[in-house]
Amino acid sequence: MVKRKVAKVLAFRYKILAGILIILAGGLVLLPKYEKHEGIKPEQLLSNVISPERYISTDILADKLINQDPSYLLIDVRDKESYHTYTLPNAINIPLAKLLDEDSERYLNQDEYDVVLFSNDNFYADQAWILCNRLDYQNLHVLKGGINQWFNTVINPPKPLENMPTEQFELYSFRKAASMYFGVAYPEQFKAVKKPKKKIVKKIITVKKKKKAPAEGGC
Amino acid sequence: MGPLIPNGIIPSDWDSIIAILIGIAFGFVLEASGFSSSRKLAGVFYGYDFAVLKVFFTAALVATIGIYYMDYLGYLDVGQLYVHPTFLWGAIIGGIIMGIGFVAGGFCPGTSLCAVAIGKIDAIIYVVGIMIGVFIFSELFFLFEPLYEGAFFGNITLMDSLGVNPYWFIFIFTIIAIVSFVISDIIRKRNKKIFY
Repeated sequence: MVKRKVAKVLAFRYKILAGILIILAGGLVLLPKYEKHEGIKPEQLLSNVISPERYISTDILADKLINQDPSYLLIDVRDKESYHTYTLPNAINIPLAKLLDEDSERYLNQDEYDVVLFSNDNFYADQAWILCNRLDYQNLHVLKGGINQWFNTVINPPKPLENMPTEQFELYSFRKAASMYFGVAYPEQFKAVKKPKKKIVKKIITVKKKKKAPAEGGC
Repeated sequence: MGPLIPNGIIPSDWDSIIAILIGIAFGFVLEASGFSSSRKLAGVFYGYDFAVLKVFFTAALVATIGIYYMDYLGYLDVGQLYVHPTFLWGAIIGGIIMGIGFVAGGFCPGTSLCAVAIGKIDAIIYVVGIMIGVFIFSELFFLFEPLYEGAFFGNITLMDSLGVNPYWFIFIFTIIAIVSFVISDIIRKRNKKIFY
């Protein structure tokens, strides 16, 4: 008797299977949809946040700029006025408000360049960094301390005290050289420049005389 | 969580071993469902056996429905799955060649290897033919290259190109599949029984 009942049910086995498929597929349509978490996962974002690669120091950036490293792309996230008043060499202006524009995406969402975001301090740059990181953009860095730190270290480096270690003096001489590269003039620099100018003038005169002398001899 | 290998839950060093295990399972299922018989495979085209259509359609359905349920429940991220890139001309012309080979030879590449494993002579010749074809293609690749790499559409799916909701698409796809099963059954019953 049991076998007969099972056989009766099994006669409909394909219909039952087809029904199960339709119910499951229909279930997918009818399931309540929820907003999916877009962008990277919170755990991934956290590990990016605590990664030391997040920040780039002003000294390293100055070194890259002086060596004209082509792999770095500087992005100024301050407003237009500040950008026109002062910015880092070859920086592109993307104000924070326009960060998610289509035109901005071409600069931010790429993996060819190392993008360095900066603002006056690293506050706005950090916000831009978080936003872009959540969209899974790659190779983003923030200039540690922003332009203020840039001024305090590279443009106007503090003189080390006499009792400081040699590294501090080396750092100071590097920063001083860097500041000269970025157009800061030092008083001692002017004295040094004036002397060769005079010599050059003298040299030109002597060269002229020399030129005349062999010509006379030749004739 | 998933997919397991890209997310590092299973190290990618296991790729080949997992591939071999899945391959063995796939081959076993093909042989067990009788797909190493060229008559059964060609039956789809002559209308006396629709096992191929049913098996592959059902497999695709079970997989898609399963994947989307797992995606919904958060076990699997559909966006992370590999989507084979579409080269339109390559797909069309390759599909035609493959179809002709399927009707004429009675095997598709996978089932032919399955049939070689159980020692079918026609399958052995079929595989030799595949190898000759592969050799000609690779030697003359410079001729075929524009066709092979032409009309590149990227890693698109039907949901992308049609712009439909995947859930509705799966539902409609299921209905189409079941209707096609019913129709194929009707066609099979009308045909004379062929013993093979």
